[in-house]
Amino acid sequence: MSPFGVLALLSWLLPTAPTFQQLPGIAIERRLADRHGLSVGDTVLLTPKPDRPAARYLVEAVYQPKADPATALRGEYQIRFHLPELARLLDAPDRVDRIAVRGRPGVPPDSTAFRLNQPAFGYRAYPSELIAAESSRTFAVVSRFHRAIGVISIVASAVFLLCIMLLKVEERRLDAAVMRLIGISRATVFRAFVLEATFVAAVGSVLGVGLAAVAGALTNWVYRRRFETSLVFSHLSVEIVAFGVGLSLLLGVAVGALAARRLVTARPLALWRRAG
Amino acid sequence: MSVVLGRDLTKVYSLNGRQVAALRGVSLTIAAGEYLAITGPSGSGKSTLLQLLGGLDSPSSGRLELMGRAVEGLSDDELTDLRLRQVGFVFQRFHLMPVLTARENVELPLAEAGVGRRERGQRAAELLAYVGLADRSDHRATQLSGGEMQRVAIARALANRPALILADEPTGELDAATGAQILALFDQLHRDGVTLVVVTHDEHLAARVPRRVHLQDGRIDRDELATAR
Repeated sequence: MSPFGVLALLSWLLPTAPTFQQLPGIAIERRLADRHGLSVGDTVLLTPKPDRPAARYLVEAVYQPKADPATALRGEYQIRFHLPELARLLDAPDRVDRIAVRGRPGVPPDSTAFRLNQPAFGYRAYPSELIAAESSRTFAVVSRFHRAIGVISIVASAVFLLCIMLLKVEERRLDAAVMRLIGISRATVFRAFVLEATFVAAVGSVLGVGLAAVAGALTNWVYRRRFETSLVFSHLSVEIVAFGVGLSLLLGVAVGALAARRLVTARPLALWRRAG
Repeated sequence: MSVVLGRDLTKVYSLNGRQVAALRGVSLTIAAGEYLAITGPSGSGKSTLLQLLGGLDSPSSGRLELMGRAVEGLSDDELTDLRLRQVGFVFQRFHLMPVLTARENVELPLAEAGVGRRERGQRAAELLAYVGLADRSDHRATQLSGGEMQRVAIARALANRPALILADEPTGELDAATGAQILALFDQLHRDGVTLVVVTHDEHLAARVPRRVHLQDGRIDRDELATAR
């Protein structure tokens, strides 16, 4: 078990001059240190509430907490105390919100939680996996929303591509007519237009992925600065890229085939007259 | 041997429920190596006749043979193949593929005919040299002048060594000097044994062609051979 307790909400923090006394040590997170210009060896006065007397502590460590989306956006800072010091500061020696229990390697968390819950009085034990799943449920829902928005965007783009290809077909009616007149087969004309649509879709996909990468990087940069965290707010995974590119290529080919079909089903002379 | 053998060709269109006869019993034979101009006023049936000769349309009645093969009853795919291998088209407005280079435009019908990459490259180079554009082969169609585009179109028409070249107002979009160069090229083609049919309003062009067929109201009004040039 960690020798440190955690104070999640810090109301007052006052840097003070170092003393030669033996002071209780604390560990403060990097953001807090950066914000107040603190470093190891500094002393601070801490109090849980403004109307309570403050106690002096020595900064023994500056640590980088693991980024947690559940807490990153709250604008809170963490300080780790030795448990007796935390109890003293809070004036609540018998009260603890959360305790983390680390099992030996190979000990299943489920059975450990079960055993801890057998004599339970005033607490409830959960496997960390369950807590992680519960706390990330919101994010899973958000992620599904994002995926749905992405799919809708790609489908909407495909409709846009269809419009472009249909317009392009109108523009290229003369080219198609000439090709048919000089003896180019329907199949070749069809392939040429589908290939063109595939190319447009592929270029669009590459540009889309590039745009997504830039937008993602920008989003991460802005929100990481805004919330002083290393959390990844936007992640462009290989799976997402593959899904997006695959879907857009599929729709692009389908749209190209649809547009090309309009050209090749017409007789060459009819096509020529309409183009003329 | 006759490249074109047409007997009593008629072509009737339905226009707003009314039957309009574009050709009324045209009989025409074109021998291999002939150079022929089809002239006549607008609506005389020149374009319709050209479309029949090019395998783009079928006659309403009569019999038409192109290179000894009856056109009636040919499927669309068979007509396409006939146009690819036996007929070369030269259009008034050139109609090259704008995104392709001069060489690629010439290679297009060769590729469709299944000619291998190396052979079609050689053939395209030869044809572009023949029309005087060896140094412009890698220029896109849009980078060429009107006369150059028409030369490329002629090279494209010759690509598969067709039995018949059909040209529709080939000098219509060109200035007099450039038009004269194209006509000189046609003369050269004729001397080299190519069968040429030119549809034109241009009396200057028609006057230098050995055989002139004049259409009037869907019928051949005159079919005359030039006595002297």
